[in-house]
Amino acid sequence: MDAETDLSTLLTSVAEGDRAALRAVYERQSVRLFGVANAILRDRDTAADALQDAFIRIARRAAQFDATRGAPEAWLGAIVRHAALDIIRARGREVPTDDPALGDQAVAPEAEERLSASVEGQRLRHCLDGLEPKNRDGIILAFVHGLSHPQIAERLGTPLGTVKSWIRRGLQSLKECLA
Amino acid sequence: MIPTDPVERDALAAEYVLGTLDARAARQVEQAMETDAALREMVAAWEARLSPLTALAVPEAPPPGLWGRIATTLDRPAAPAPAAARASPFWRFWALGASMVAAGLAALLLLRPVPEERLMTVLLTQRDQPAWLVEADGGALRLASLNPQPVPADRVMQLWALPQGATAPTSLGLIPAAQGRLTVTPSSIRPEPGMLIEISLEPPGGSPTGRPTGPVLFIGRLAAARGA
Repeated sequence: MDAETDLSTLLTSVAEGDRAALRAVYERQSVRLFGVANAILRDRDTAADALQDAFIRIARRAAQFDATRGAPEAWLGAIVRHAALDIIRARGREVPTDDPALGDQAVAPEAEERLSASVEGQRLRHCLDGLEPKNRDGIILAFVHGLSHPQIAERLGTPLGTVKSWIRRGLQSLKECLA
Repeated sequence: MIPTDPVERDALAAEYVLGTLDARAARQVEQAMETDAALREMVAAWEARLSPLTALAVPEAPPPGLWGRIATTLDRPAAPAPAAARASPFWRFWALGASMVAAGLAALLLLRPVPEERLMTVLLTQRDQPAWLVEADGGALRLASLNPQPVPADRVMQLWALPQGATAPTSLGLIPAAQGRLTVTPSSIRPEPGMLIEISLEPPGGSPTGRPTGPVLFIGRLAAARGA
């Protein structure tokens, strides 16, 4: 398992039950992925639970990863996000939303740099910049921080129905912009 | 339900990926994806569009022991194994006949009008005999004993719930002695499909550790009752 083996190859080995390959995936990706879970759960213990669940899913579903249809980082990130979302849904989304680190700083300068590090990220950032600010914030609060429609409405001081239609329209605009 | 209109389906896929669907809708999408290849494609396309946003999360090192926990979990058998708990002799003998009671109750439930998906389970003994009927009602759990039996004088029964993905069960309290029915409303968790419900035998006052210490007498997993 040398340092040159790429993630897609590692996942192929994971699908064959190779524990060392799974460990290599963990070693390379766990810092990024723990951050993804912790952004949603905002509690290190629970984020660790989410990452544990996610790696069990990764071990069991690695055969479903198809390198021709997307980057392994995106596939791993989606599994971690959904594992974290399952946990906050099970808890009735009781994660506090008055955390000052949310929303206003959702797109802090260094975070913008990380977003712009990839070509896809740059394109998405360009398209997000074309949205109304509150619309963009709503999408980021949902995707990055796992906020529900009512939580976003509360956070942005906007009626729930408005938030729902904004997000729907915003997603549609992003799709058109990225096409 | 999964819509048939392509625009609505795509909007549903987008909100699934965004994370704004509630637990029930998200589960419906996940179930539909198993057989609906077109929906799977839509979800994959949305994951690809939005995945760069994960870069906005601040990278952070996980706790040092986490890989060890993952490896240990992978080494365990897939399903929780309630049978691993030692059988307590007193309840071994009474489950006879309970399955007939359960069959009757199940029929009654099927005859009732069902306005929406209902979450329920039957807690089984270690010999797979039905012991308690559990039904979720919003945030509450209603329990009915199918064949109440006395608990040893120096022991109490404690009710637990383990949401899917959680690593430790949450205590829902003690079950009053000789009571065949009760309703509990957990404050910290909400009944959801896949949640394990279990009853363990504990010293008076309940488990001193916050986790089950005695044998797990009864266990079941909440699931949506369908077809009613």
